[in-house]
Amino acid sequence: MQHYWFGDVEEGGACTPAEGDVEALAERLDRLRISMASFVPLAWEDAVACGVVADRREYLDRLRALCIRRAEETIAAYYRQGDIELLQMVRMLDETDTVINLLTERATEWYIVRNPQFSRKYRAIGAKKMLSIMKKDRSSPLARLAGEIERLAAERTRLMREVSARADAVAPNCSALVGGLVAARLVSRAGGLAPLARLPASTIQVLGAENALFTHLRSGTPPPKHGIIFQHRRVHNAPRGTRGRVARVLAAKLAIAARIDCYRGELSPAFLETAQRRIDDAAGVA
Amino acid sequence: MIRIDGVLVSPGEGGVYGERMLQGYRVWDPRRSKLAALYAKGGGRDLEPWMRILYLGAANGTTVSHVADYAACVYAVEFAPRPMQDLIEVARRRTNVVPIMADATRPAAYAPLVEAVDMVIQDVAQPDQAGIALANLPFLKPDGVYILMLKARSVDVRADPEAVIAAAVRALEAGGLVVQAATRLEPFHRDHAAIVCTRQ
Repeated sequence: MQHYWFGDVEEGGACTPAEGDVEALAERLDRLRISMASFVPLAWEDAVACGVVADRREYLDRLRALCIRRAEETIAAYYRQGDIELLQMVRMLDETDTVINLLTERATEWYIVRNPQFSRKYRAIGAKKMLSIMKKDRSSPLARLAGEIERLAAERTRLMREVSARADAVAPNCSALVGGLVAARLVSRAGGLAPLARLPASTIQVLGAENALFTHLRSGTPPPKHGIIFQHRRVHNAPRGTRGRVARVLAAKLAIAARIDCYRGELSPAFLETAQRRIDDAAGVA
Repeated sequence: MIRIDGVLVSPGEGGVYGERMLQGYRVWDPRRSKLAALYAKGGGRDLEPWMRILYLGAANGTTVSHVADYAACVYAVEFAPRPMQDLIEVARRRTNVVPIMADATRPAAYAPLVEAVDMVIQDVAQPDQAGIALANLPFLKPDGVYILMLKARSVDVRADPEAVIAAAVRALEAGGLVVQAATRLEPFHRDHAAIVCTRQ
């Protein structure tokens, strides 16, 4: 017997139509297990013989409706996983950073042209301060633009909080270990929570340090000790001598945390407590 | 196949992906489509109005839309969610396109949906492209033709493309196909070849 989307066809040509609407047909398709060894491609005339459709046009229309429906459901389910949107949010955050820096640099150059006696030397003027100085120059379109850049920077801060909150929800254990932002960056770099959960700790340790890693593999420079996880305070606050060890232990615990996040999906206080203790030990903090 | 002053075109509703129009026909650019490149190089098998086609690796449905302009119907298989969204839009406007969200390496998943076809077009960026072709052979009619767009760099970035193509041809012939021609798609697409096969 051959199983097709419209029903089952026996060797002799006898046919049992599949009952129900598009939804029922889609569910039946998900349950079907076909072996390609004994598979015979369908003939659409069988669907007519089956009494499912009247002609070729109706056959195609019903099949298309079914396929489009299934594809839409699969896509919707894929996007419903929280980490897919988190990916876009993190990338947007990073792009926004780049854009703000570029615009501020350009605006500063413009400001210097308008104010030849101005110099940033010996004055430690940060980007934020620079923007507020430029905003005072009322006569120039530069002031308006500086205001826009400031607004974009405020939006960036808001987005950063949202990324962090989303990471707390999507990857609670990773976020508890390294903070939402760093956890979000790890998820983003791995391409999702499930891919992150499948990475070995040694890879997580150097995520974000790909350049250094491949230079090391190619020409034998010292290997990178840490990538994104350097942003964690235990790593960057550790003295040089123990930094590698802290990064290694942290990555090992992150690998476990990512798997709990992916496959269990809830906060595990017991794991977090032992993991945190182990990381603190490695850092030599009592 | 319709050509206007040597330019390959297809009859159908335009505006699918911002393609140029020529006397009411849609220009089918060999630089954008590997299948068009194959036709531009004089290879392949012409699409006929009665043909039913299985297209593996349909992506955004740009090439699929041109194929659908010529053929009776196209079963378009694509795996990735993002391009699938575009493919569904194409299928809404072209009533002879059946969009199937499935993995071309696992034909059992879409076997209940696809009928026997006159032509299979395979354009997937996967390492084992010959293996995928052999797995999808049950869908091809005995007198059908299989067109495999081989991305040599997807098989092995470091190997010589010519060697990759030769290995794919050997694998297809070992699987019982008769390779009619293997056409390099330069200058339109680098390190690509179209392998046209038939069954005995």
